[in-house]
Amino acid sequence: MPAMTMIPDLDIPGSQSTPIIRSDWAAGRLTMQGDSYPENSYDLFDQVIAWVQRFLSDEQRPLALELSLVYLNTSSVKAMMDIFDLLEEAHERGRPVAVTWHYDPRNERIAELAEEFKEDCSYPFAITPAKVNA
Amino acid sequence: MKARGEEGLLERVAALLDEPRHAEHPLREALEELYLKYRDQQEQLDRLMNISDRYQALAREAQQVTQQRYERALKRQKKLSRISDRYQALMRERNQTLHQEAHHDALTELPNRRLIDERLAQLDQSGRRYTLALLDIDHFKQVNDEHGHDVGDELLVAITRTMRQGLRDHDLCGRWGGEEFLLLLGDTALDEASRIVERLRARLAQVRVPSGDRWLSVTLSAGLSQHRDGEAYLTTLQRADQALLEAKREGRDRSQLATR
Repeated sequence: MPAMTMIPDLDIPGSQSTPIIRSDWAAGRLTMQGDSYPENSYDLFDQVIAWVQRFLSDEQRPLALELSLVYLNTSSVKAMMDIFDLLEEAHERGRPVAVTWHYDPRNERIAELAEEFKEDCSYPFAITPAKVNA
Repeated sequence: MKARGEEGLLERVAALLDEPRHAEHPLREALEELYLKYRDQQEQLDRLMNISDRYQALAREAQQVTQQRYERALKRQKKLSRISDRYQALMRERNQTLHQEAHHDALTELPNRRLIDERLAQLDQSGRRYTLALLDIDHFKQVNDEHGHDVGDELLVAITRTMRQGLRDHDLCGRWGGEEFLLLLGDTALDEASRIVERLRARLAQVRVPSGDRWLSVTLSAGLSQHRDGEAYLTTLQRADQALLEAKREGRDRSQLATR
């Protein structure tokens, strides 16, 4: 049965220094895109981490992360590592989790950085070039 | 923990104490007391060692857990620094690219007005001597109109290449406008600058670019002005611009020195 107290979905519009963050509890999906160098990254990422924790503990359904992150400052890198660790723990308990990291093929360096994140993850972690419209 | 042979001794003492014929022996009571006391102490020693061993095992376990946690934290920290450093390097490179793009002309890759302005302002502050030369391709509009902008662009690139080769390392050549170039000749007086520009104009007149089945060449007009002590570079520039105008008026394909 669904959770008794639903945690509200995230719908953070994003700015020049913060990514667009959207969660979809029903679909089991979390998307983040853009640059991330917020002034207070704990304020921003605490709610994301809380959502992921809640979804992983309340639900049994798979969770998919769709990322199109470009530049991350140090505290954002740490927050992402924390989120990936949560997924790793869930995966070890047998939960289906997956990450897809989309990058602009004109910027291969972002793919290399995604590879660095992927290093200790044993769940599916795809790094795919995004379609370019420009 | 018992020493070797101790067990045998204890058994012998126990057997002696048990023998009825020793019941009335004057040493028997003292020996029995000693025997029991010894056994008691032995038991306590064993318990003590047992407890001590268990404490040691616990401490070892705790230490291993701490060690593992520390190693995990260290590994995480290293990963964090590594990724963060790479992002920083990425930003640095992006900044450099942006800086390059903001200060250079996309077609010819020459320094643009912004960069030249910065250099001139620096020169003014340093108080060093310099001469400015504005060079303009004669009848360039006609080239574009008759041969198309692609040929015009090609011509600009070819002119740029030759101009670069003809200059000294410390000279600066920038694209000032559409078909207008600015030369900044450092530590150079007007007469020397004039010789340099004349040599350069001669070489530039030799530049050929293909247009259909023909070869296209152009001439350039130039206006030169030497910086005067204490004046702002804009004033020097205005004089060079005025001189260029005069060179054009005088029939083009020539240099004019600003003397006023």
